[in-house]
Amino acid sequence: MGSTSSTLLKIPNAEVLMQETGFSPAHIIRLHDRFKALDKEGRGYLCPQDFGAIKELAMNPIGDRIIGAFFSPGKETVDFSTFVKILAHFRPVDKDRPKEPNSPEPINSRSNKLKFAFQLYDQDKDGKISRDELLKVLRAMLGMQVTEEQLESIADRTIQEADLDRDEAISFEEFRKSLEKVNIDHKMSIRFLR
Amino acid sequence: MMPRLSSIVPESCLLIVVGLLVGGLMKLVAEVPPVLESKIFFLYLLPPIILDAGYFMPIRQFTENLGTILMFAVVGTLWNAFFVGGLLYGVCQFEGHRLVNVDLLSCLLFGSIISAVDPVAVLAVFEEIHINELLHILVFGESLLNDAVTVVLYHLFEEFSSVGTITVMDVFLGVVCFLVVSLGGIVVGAIYGLLAAFTSRFTSHTRVIEPLFVFVYSYMAYLSAEVFHLSGIMALIACGAVTRPYVEANISHKSHTTIKYFLKMWSSVSDTLIFIFLGVSTVAGPHEWNWIFVVATLILCLVARVLGVVGLTFVINKFRIVKLTSKDQFIIAYGGLRGAIAFSLVYLLNTDHFPKRNMFLTAIITVIFFTVFVQGMTIRPLVDLLAVKKKQETKRSINEEIHTQFLDHLLTGIEGICGHYGHHHWKDKLNRFNKKYVKKCLIAGERSKEPQLIAFYHKMEMKQAIELVESGGGSKLPSAVPSTVSMQNIQPKKSPQDRALPQLSKAREDEIRKILRTNLQKTRQRLRSYNRHTLIADPYEDGWNEILIKRKRMMELEKKISQMNNYLTVPAPAPDSPTIARARLASDPQAWGLKSLTESIPTIKVDLASPQSPESFNMVDEIGKKGSQSKASEEEDGLTMKVPSMTKPRKDKTANEDDDKEPQQRLMRCLSDPGPAGEEDEEDEPFLH
Repeated sequence: MGSTSSTLLKIPNAEVLMQETGFSPAHIIRLHDRFKALDKEGRGYLCPQDFGAIKELAMNPIGDRIIGAFFSPGKETVDFSTFVKILAHFRPVDKDRPKEPNSPEPINSRSNKLKFAFQLYDQDKDGKISRDELLKVLRAMLGMQVTEEQLESIADRTIQEADLDRDEAISFEEFRKSLEKVNIDHKMSIRFLR
Repeated sequence: MMPRLSSIVPESCLLIVVGLLVGGLMKLVAEVPPVLESKIFFLYLLPPIILDAGYFMPIRQFTENLGTILMFAVVGTLWNAFFVGGLLYGVCQFEGHRLVNVDLLSCLLFGSIISAVDPVAVLAVFEEIHINELLHILVFGESLLNDAVTVVLYHLFEEFSSVGTITVMDVFLGVVCFLVVSLGGIVVGAIYGLLAAFTSRFTSHTRVIEPLFVFVYSYMAYLSAEVFHLSGIMALIACGAVTRPYVEANISHKSHTTIKYFLKMWSSVSDTLIFIFLGVSTVAGPHEWNWIFVVATLILCLVARVLGVVGLTFVINKFRIVKLTSKDQFIIAYGGLRGAIAFSLVYLLNTDHFPKRNMFLTAIITVIFFTVFVQGMTIRPLVDLLAVKKKQETKRSINEEIHTQFLDHLLTGIEGICGHYGHHHWKDKLNRFNKKYVKKCLIAGERSKEPQLIAFYHKMEMKQAIELVESGGGSKLPSAVPSTVSMQNIQPKKSPQDRALPQLSKAREDEIRKILRTNLQKTRQRLRSYNRHTLIADPYEDGWNEILIKRKRMMELEKKISQMNNYLTVPAPAPDSPTIARARLASDPQAWGLKSLTESIPTIKVDLASPQSPESFNMVDEIGKKGSQSKASEEEDGLTMKVPSMTKPRKDKTANEDDDKEPQQRLMRCLSDPGPAGEEDEEDEPFLH
């Protein structure tokens, strides 16, 4: 389709992005349009205020964490390729992709999806979800409706269940293990991004 | 031989055979066997089964797969009806002399009746094979929702056959009719469901009649829908599904148990009666056997089903994230059982309009028999042969709950960023609406604000608490008291408690009494697995908050005491010992706690008053001991769950703890008292406010 390819040329690094993330050209274009819509001032990058303008995120209990996940540590802006790469985590898993031994794991593999979710819990990036971090998440999700003590006991219980090496924190492996029965491919995929 | 028989042959088949025998007997005695009258069937036998299914419907899976289910139910049934009806007409025309006067409309009507998958038969067979939840909900959901299609087609063709000519307008009206019937049924059901929920808000003073409201409102929903020729089944499902979350928050635990048991009982009885009647009616009913017609029907049904499923799956898989494999498709096609609804609908046909009614009856019975017997019997070995995924028996851990909710929020947020209003967005909106407005109206008092996670957490805690009590103990006893305390008899008298700890209050006493009662009851309880629910006979009633506060205070007191005294501790029975296993099973009918799970759950540290090994208890002693121990523990403090020291679980795996007791006690005391700071965190699983 003529219009697609010409629009595609306008997007910087479109080929590379498609290669890395596995998105189709139509998706890249759609995401680019969305990017431009969010980037109201047309600067070519997004800053936290642009994300904050999205109503649904404001109501979301972990909205600020999600926003934070887009910004790599130290950077204040998100350009299009980072935007696309992060959203690529939520692509449904391609079950019939041939497994090349040398290629790196695709961004939307189960393990990478879990890593992304883990990072949202682990704000100080020490590789573990400590009790405090868990408490913060619980407080955000459950809000005003529960007492502090209830939250603490839930947090304690959660850590006890998952913590196999008894270090009072949940490492990525333990996190992955506790979710082994959950169908992550399904839970962390958006149909839009096929 | 009998146990083996029931593992090969599904119950429905056996019941039909029984019916056949009974019918045969009656004929022998020259009595007229009763036929399954449609009125009895539709008014009395069918509703309990459907209500049972609707009330315990897993809403989450249902809504996640709603698109697929609707496709199968609506498009699939339509396809089946027209395919079978049309081709049958062709066969009749082709065949010649006897069948020529079967006109198109009759064939189409017959096709529409026979194409509907029957929920009763599906339930009866699928419950036994424990297939994974996705397939179960797909086939089962389809069997429920296709009722609307069947009702519409049935009435349409019946009307048409008396009118004579059909126009395009009629077809269009038919489509409109379908929408009205299905949506109308759902709306009627939902209204009655909300009414039931609202009524239950005010029943806190008349707990005894709470179950009645659920049943009465649901039945009224069914009747109201049927009166207006709307889909009664959908009304019933909607009523049950809408009622449940709110009613469960409002009613007492006993009422909940009552509802559950009554529904299961009624649906079991109905189920049995339906199949027996089917057998009897086969012997009794007027038959007209026509080889070609019957065989053609059978073959066409099977072919239509397979083609329909394959074709639809091809289309559906384009929209699904988790695609349906060919194994899944096979099971879905194979699980399309026909049953008594089809039979009753044919029976209702008027012989004037449908001169070939008896032939239809014979054909339907043949198809029903074939699907129930052949498909019903072979589906289990096929499921094993194809290695289809079975149902997971383990419960969700609290980790999974939390993370699943977290991921839901995450996905909703990402959908917001993408600007895409998908599944999660609407679910989130619905949840928000529910929390803000609906729950406030329909749930009484405090519990309207309780988030789902907390309710779940409560349930888990309660379960563990019950197990703790049953496994014979609960907390550390100050050494000053153990002998006196353990020697006490099981009498809920106030005085010994007062001696042990002066702060004990009435709330605590009530709770102890309840725990004792449930504890003693439990030892008589049989282990029976119900598919969808866990029955917790727990002291979870009003006054919970007070109990929790008291308990916290007890624990603090105990901490102080333990730091002062030496105490006698005996390691808990190994997590997989018969005592704990029995305790666990008894409190949670669904087998839970696989070995892997038990290791990650805090091992319950149980201190027994007597140094006897727990395994050597026998039944009688156990009741006594449990009673006294739980009593003793209750006096002290109640149920604490301690995170044991690190080496303890390993040690506990040995069968008999008696051997290592002495050094172990000392070791444990050292290790399990990591100092005041550590204890703060480790010790509590304090029960909640």
